[in-house]
Amino acid sequence: MARRALSLHARQLLAASLGLVAFLGLTGIALDRAFLETARSNLRERLQSYAYAYVSVIDFDRDGQLIPLPEELRPDERFTRPGSGLYAQIRGERGLDWESPSAVGVQLPAPPAFQAGRIHFDSQPVPYTDDTGQPRQAYRLLQDIVWETGEVGQWREVNRFTFSVLEDTSELSTQIDVFRRALWGYLGLAAILLLLVQMLVLRWSLHPLRRLERELLRVQRGVSARLSARHPAELEQITGSVNALIESEKAHLDLSRNTLSDLAHSLKTPLAVLRSRLETEANHDELRRELCMQVQRMSEIVSYQLSRAARSGHALFAAPVEIEPRAEEIVASLEKVYASRGVLCEFDLDPQARFYGELGDLQELLGNLLENAFKWARKRVLLTVRGEAEAGDRRPGVCFIVEDDGPGIPQENVQRLLQRGVRGDERVQGHGIGLAIVQDIVRAYRGELEVTRSEELGGARFSVRFPGLS
Amino acid sequence: MRILLVEDEAPLRETLSARLKREGFAVDAAADGEEGLYHGRELPFDVAVIDLGLPKMSGMELVRTLRGEGKKFPILILTARSSWQDKVEGLKAGADDYLVKPFHVEELLARINALLRRAAGWSKPTLDCGPIRLDLSSQTVSVNSQGVDLTSYEYKVLEYLMLHAGELVSKADLTEHIYQQDFDRDSNVLEVFIGRLRKKLDPEGELKPIETVRGRGYRFAIPRSE
Repeated sequence: MARRALSLHARQLLAASLGLVAFLGLTGIALDRAFLETARSNLRERLQSYAYAYVSVIDFDRDGQLIPLPEELRPDERFTRPGSGLYAQIRGERGLDWESPSAVGVQLPAPPAFQAGRIHFDSQPVPYTDDTGQPRQAYRLLQDIVWETGEVGQWREVNRFTFSVLEDTSELSTQIDVFRRALWGYLGLAAILLLLVQMLVLRWSLHPLRRLERELLRVQRGVSARLSARHPAELEQITGSVNALIESEKAHLDLSRNTLSDLAHSLKTPLAVLRSRLETEANHDELRRELCMQVQRMSEIVSYQLSRAARSGHALFAAPVEIEPRAEEIVASLEKVYASRGVLCEFDLDPQARFYGELGDLQELLGNLLENAFKWARKRVLLTVRGEAEAGDRRPGVCFIVEDDGPGIPQENVQRLLQRGVRGDERVQGHGIGLAIVQDIVRAYRGELEVTRSEELGGARFSVRFPGLS
Repeated sequence: MRILLVEDEAPLRETLSARLKREGFAVDAAADGEEGLYHGRELPFDVAVIDLGLPKMSGMELVRTLRGEGKKFPILILTARSSWQDKVEGLKAGADDYLVKPFHVEELLARINALLRRAAGWSKPTLDCGPIRLDLSSQTVSVNSQGVDLTSYEYKVLEYLMLHAGELVSKADLTEHIYQQDFDRDSNVLEVFIGRLRKKLDPEGELKPIETVRGRGYRFAIPRSE
């Protein structure tokens, strides 16, 4: 089973949500990274400033013993509170020289090998054991210091010791946790809000489609005859085409209905004539003649109406039909059929010209016009097809001209020829049904038919012009 | 003239067949495309009338096959469809003319005569050879504008010879194109017709219109006047 295509709404929402999540996610990650960096460098600076504060007051007595640091020196309150998580210690070559009150009972790790003048911040937290014996981790800053004691220039003793400041990782983790909670909280909120707005925008912009759907449903149910004109520019092409389709469908239906009723009505007359003849006592020959005449009439009616019913007149969505090959085909056929009359047909065909309609309609049009010309011509027939220049999206119009060197049609007869009744039965008599078919096609495609005298050949000149469509 | 008539509708086939025989044609009628093809292959026809809507093998297919096999005789197609699409297609397949049903039999006869004439290279419905004129539509013959009274078989022989004026026509050709299949071909009735024709057309023996080519056949000797 084929899966149903996702609705436009779902597509839009899916795409927008994915985009939003990706955008906000990346933003969050970037912010998180930046914050971590800042927090770590802040930490380092803080530890550094503690170290400076202590190191600046360190002093040794003549024996090289560390003079205990003054009680009141406390760069941070936490150095005095045992187990506070912030510790400082001074370790010399002989072991531990001093540690902050907070480090009582805490086992801090020994600093790595001494390097003179080093200030070192561990990239990874180091493990230690706190005053309750729990293993924990801390960030550590080390400062290695060389201290010279004794009289200047005389006797010297060199003291090497390492000053360490440690801060439990929980401090930074707490900060980061707080930041992250805030960051992701706000981003999530923003995402939800944006998605909501997106959904609203979507509903709003898809609204015309939904309205179109409702209108189509109304047309389907027969409540309304066509779509309204109140649609956004993007949909106008579609609604216009749908309306045109509805109309042409209706016209087609009307045509079929009319053809049927025309056929039935026009057959009634010859039937009535026959019946009246049969009922009056006419002699055998007369009856026979009348029968022949009416049968002829009826067969003409039938073939005219048949050809009418076969036509569509759907000019709207028709693909362009190349005119040149079709015209050549028909002329070749006619030259074969009228070979004995020795009529010569000349062409002047625009190879670019296209007929936007049914192939059958084009063939009927050309066939009937040309056959007419072949019938009446003495020696020459001229077929001219000109396409109008294409202009942008506009569908170009096309013009057919058929001329002959026959007797032509007197101007006063032209109107009679073209206006020969409206009903099929009146039209088909006399001049054959060809011209009636041509007129029907011209009307169906909203073209114009003109009958004049040919200036070049002297006979009749039939010109059919189909306008362009935008 | 030998004509092939392929039409599946029995009443129409029989009416046409009877009428064509009355007009002096040797008619071979077939009821479907395959039978039509069989006849078309076996017999030397002068013209064929083929309906497009046939059982077993469509008329269009039949025309195409006959043309594909090199048959040159003119073909007229009958069709119930009057659209140009069908006409064009039929003519492209190899037909020479078409007639839309329903039609007048007179119209059909006129078209058949025109096709025969065209196939023989005549452009007018009257054949003129010197003083002798044969009118195909009225089936009359005159010499120096004086009407000549011919029987139907005499007329058919003359018509065939004049259509092919200047060409050698064998006895077998003449018999095949003029008589129905059941005709007794062994009789020398043909020679009798030729003799009578010579007498009627040329009682003084000055024109000598029909030449006997010994052992091979006849030739209409007066050149075409067109």
